[in-house]
Amino acid sequence: MSAVVSSDTLQHEKTQKMRRPRLLSAKQREIIRRLGFIATSFLMAFVVWYVVSYYVTGPFLIPPPSKVIAAFFPMAESGQLLNDIGMSLSRVAVGYSFGSVIGLTLGLFMGRVRVLHDLLDPIVQTARFLSPTAMIPIVIIWFGIGELAKYALVFWGTVSLVLINTIAGVLRTPKIRQNAALCLGASEAQIFRLIVLPSAVPFIVIGMRLALASAFVSIIPAELLAADSGLGYLLQQSSLLLQTDRIFVALVVICVVGFLTDQLFYWSTTLFLRRYLAVV
Amino acid sequence: MDMRAEAPSPRTERARRRGGPVFSIKGLLKVFGDDKPYVALKDVELTVENGEFLCLLGASGCGKSTLLNLLAGFEKPSGGELLYNSKPIAGPGRERVMFFQDANAALLPWQTVQQNVEFGLKLQGLLHNQGWRERIEECLELVGLAEHRHKVPSEISGGMRQRLQIARALAVEPDVLLMDEPFAALDAITRRRMHEALLDVWQREKRTVVFVTHDIMEALTLADRIAVMSVGPGSRIAHIIEIKQPRPRNPADPELGHLFAHLEHLLHGVSPEESMQ
Repeated sequence: MSAVVSSDTLQHEKTQKMRRPRLLSAKQREIIRRLGFIATSFLMAFVVWYVVSYYVTGPFLIPPPSKVIAAFFPMAESGQLLNDIGMSLSRVAVGYSFGSVIGLTLGLFMGRVRVLHDLLDPIVQTARFLSPTAMIPIVIIWFGIGELAKYALVFWGTVSLVLINTIAGVLRTPKIRQNAALCLGASEAQIFRLIVLPSAVPFIVIGMRLALASAFVSIIPAELLAADSGLGYLLQQSSLLLQTDRIFVALVVICVVGFLTDQLFYWSTTLFLRRYLAVV
Repeated sequence: MDMRAEAPSPRTERARRRGGPVFSIKGLLKVFGDDKPYVALKDVELTVENGEFLCLLGASGCGKSTLLNLLAGFEKPSGGELLYNSKPIAGPGRERVMFFQDANAALLPWQTVQQNVEFGLKLQGLLHNQGWRERIEECLELVGLAEHRHKVPSEISGGMRQRLQIARALAVEPDVLLMDEPFAALDAITRRRMHEALLDVWQREKRTVVFVTHDIMEALTLADRIAVMSVGPGSRIAHIIEIKQPRPRNPADPELGHLFAHLEHLLHGVSPEESMQ
């Protein structure tokens, strides 16, 4: 035993000598490294943007970052930009919520009830090729250009992604896990609630995250063609007036708002559903 | 059912009450598929006595797992007689708990060790009954997982996960443990420890165990009787070998060596002389 200890301490001393003591832990160093790359990535984009703006296209077609920032402040101060962001976000929120709830509910049933799956899956598999943009003309005829039309289009862009991923999650629930629960005396309802639903969570979360991105992608064309507010409307108006700097403000805002929403989704699911996401 | 809820530990009484065989199988037939039928089991004859440790031994694909699935009630027989306590098996039941090789798939990865052990009782609505709470503690102690109770399955080792499966099965007080090559994916040392743990639990709790394996040594270490299955399709119980050696068994025991050679011959057609060399 003493021999083991002494060789252990020897080893310890050797590594101590070889490695200088570090100020930061490995995890902290990794975070700093990641942040460094993110900063460099954006810096690179800005440089390219400047160069292309001044030397290739000229500042009208692609306004340089300075001009875009200059255009941003008055838009933000007047409250118009915030209003447009709010309108777009509320449409996304309503359409996405409905799409998720319907997709999730229908997906759970279709994954569990064979007849329902076989009956509805052909429709789902074909209809999902109709993008929300393709549905705009008919939706305007059905619902006019009111809020309902926007909700319907975001719903359309959301529901199939949640649906398909939920079905996959239900079908991928290990048969062994269900059989094990049957042995322990589980009823059909208990299997569904305590085994299938939790096992499907990782797939449902992936579907909902994809659908969230799709909701943002869906709302802009809807607002371009039929709206009097929102980020899509802002793009459309700026285009008519040839205000390229305002167009770029809107484009950057769409990126930032979309990214932040996705991050919020990611971190909240990671926080609240960590147990279910750790394993597939 | 209600009596169970009131009297927490009726297991010893239940074991004493019953005299006859636990499983009685006569002329059992199992066919898979309609268009191209595959006869997995044919003319299977087997009796499993109460409290015995029976190993089903056979080569891969001989239908051992199919037979176990029939005993569990996951599959229905295509013909013949399959009785549990003199009654036909209608489906899975908690008096016959199956134990799987793939612990990750079998356990609930989002629940802690303790919640996994409690799962069976939760399903019955018995979780907060005083007697059963003690039973959970007893099971955790029995498999040595009491101090890991707040971890989740991904945080414990493969051997611990298999012990957790044992604890989870024992918590619902089954009469029979059905084990489908439970330790085949473990390393040799962990596997040996699991054999000791399983025998220890079995000797203390006196339950019937039906244990599927393709490993002759494993069968010789564990079983009271070894049922050797013939090669499929249409496999059956070809031989039954009784092992009287006391446990713990010493692999160097010459009697076990003879049995090993004999089983090797039965399984792979290797003659006893060749295998002795």
